[in-house]
Amino acid sequence: MKTTIKTKRIMTPRFVRLLAVPPAIALWLGACATPPKPAALSTYEALQHDRNLEETRRRFPDLVASAEQFGQKADQEWQSNNLDDSTKAALMAEIKLRTALARNDQARAKARLEVLTTEQARADDDLGDAKKDLESTTEQVRLIEQADQDKKKLTQQIATEQDERQRLTQQLALEQKHAGAQLALRTAETVDAPRYAPSDYTAATAMMAKAEGEIKQGAVGLALTSLEVARTRAEKSIEIAKPLYEQAAQATQNKMRDETLARDAAALPAVAVRLERRGELQRLVIAIPNLFVKSQTTLPPDKESSLEPIARLIVKYPSYPVQVVGHTDNRGKVGELIALSQSRAQAVFSALVVKGVEARRLMVSGQGPNEPIADNKIAAGRAKNARVEVIFLYH
Amino acid sequence: MIRRGRPTSFVLWQVTLSTLAILVLSFALRATPALADEEDDIQRQVDTQKAGVPDLEHLDTQHAARADIQRLRQWLGEAWDLRNKHDPDGAREVLDRSLSQAELIRQIIAASQAKAEVAAREAKLQKTKLSIEQTKQALRDTQAKKKSLEPVLGS
Repeated sequence: MKTTIKTKRIMTPRFVRLLAVPPAIALWLGACATPPKPAALSTYEALQHDRNLEETRRRFPDLVASAEQFGQKADQEWQSNNLDDSTKAALMAEIKLRTALARNDQARAKARLEVLTTEQARADDDLGDAKKDLESTTEQVRLIEQADQDKKKLTQQIATEQDERQRLTQQLALEQKHAGAQLALRTAETVDAPRYAPSDYTAATAMMAKAEGEIKQGAVGLALTSLEVARTRAEKSIEIAKPLYEQAAQATQNKMRDETLARDAAALPAVAVRLERRGELQRLVIAIPNLFVKSQTTLPPDKESSLEPIARLIVKYPSYPVQVVGHTDNRGKVGELIALSQSRAQAVFSALVVKGVEARRLMVSGQGPNEPIADNKIAAGRAKNARVEVIFLYH
Repeated sequence: MIRRGRPTSFVLWQVTLSTLAILVLSFALRATPALADEEDDIQRQVDTQKAGVPDLEHLDTQHAARADIQRLRQWLGEAWDLRNKHDPDGAREVLDRSLSQAELIRQIIAASQAKAEVAAREAKLQKTKLSIEQTKQALRDTQAKKKSLEPVLGS
């Protein structure tokens, strides 16, 4: 063994041994140099750059001072190459400093909370005020809108009422027109317009039917026009028919009166009654024979009283003009006979006036022998011809 | 060749070792009661601190101290290991540091909760300010509407 070692020493060159010197020196120097900084110490040192450190120091000086003491110890131990102790001290330093920073954070948060509380209270007040204002304004707007709606509703109601009034007015006008047209039609019928004014009456009736159809359809304007036309045509038919109708009615009435007069006259005693026509004129002739004694012009008293029924008849029918005409037979001169007949008519006239007949209704004349009604050759004929006639003149 | 005869130095060496062993044993036997008490105390402290860790975790709703709680667990484990290695001084040192760490965790949690509250209040304030702005805008709109409606009312 010793031999081998010796051989090795012999075989080791000197330069090789010289090469081992620098690493050995380096190792020696390395052993004497500062060791790597522990991670905990680096962490602590990093914490010292925290932006809140100064504020934290002001608030928690003891805690920060304690951390710094640990930090200094950690640094010293590191400088002394006691890495384990350095780490332990650095950890404590870190814990203390972070605790201080955390408490500072709490203090900051607390301060911020106080500010926030104040701001929140103010904001709540502002919000409350704004909500109140909004509520108030909204209520005002609601009221205005309500008022506007009420106004619109009222306006609409007024318009509706106006429409209704207008409708009623139209309805009333329509009914009035309708009634007017109907009245005109009825009036036309009363004057027998279908007979006397058939074209206008038919047109009015047709227009009335048309108007009633238009009323059913609600075409008020058209109906009004149609009713107006119907009324106009009906009135025109009345205008045409009325005189004709009245004329006819008058004729009928006259005829009836004439017939009554004739019946009443026929009932008179001791007179001869006849109807005769002279041209357009019709007349009722009451011939009273034997009133006068021969050639006399004075009525004997008994004969005068026989005129009483005739006088009543004349009074009863006041609308008839009456002629009192004297007649004679043909014995004598014509002139004398006419004078005689006129005097006798005058005597009858006077007697009738005395009995109540209006003198102005009576016309007196004497025809003499000019209008014989029987044969003058025989006595009975001459007796008939010597007469006084009371003549009712028909219209 | 060695077994053929024991040299004096070897005997002396054995005697010395035996003596030292007896001394160490006697010292150990004499020191055991005090060491046991201290270890029990350390154990209690470790248990107490360990029992507090779930509470801290529970409090840490913001998860702001998760890493620090992990480190606390680690250190408590380390203290327990040192206690088991009958290094009470080392264990106490770690326990002291753990106590400080627990306090740090509590402060971090409190700070995070305070910050969270600040954030919530900031948000609430911001919301209120937004409401104010919206309400004021609505008020302006309503006032404008009212102004536009006033002629209607007046007519």
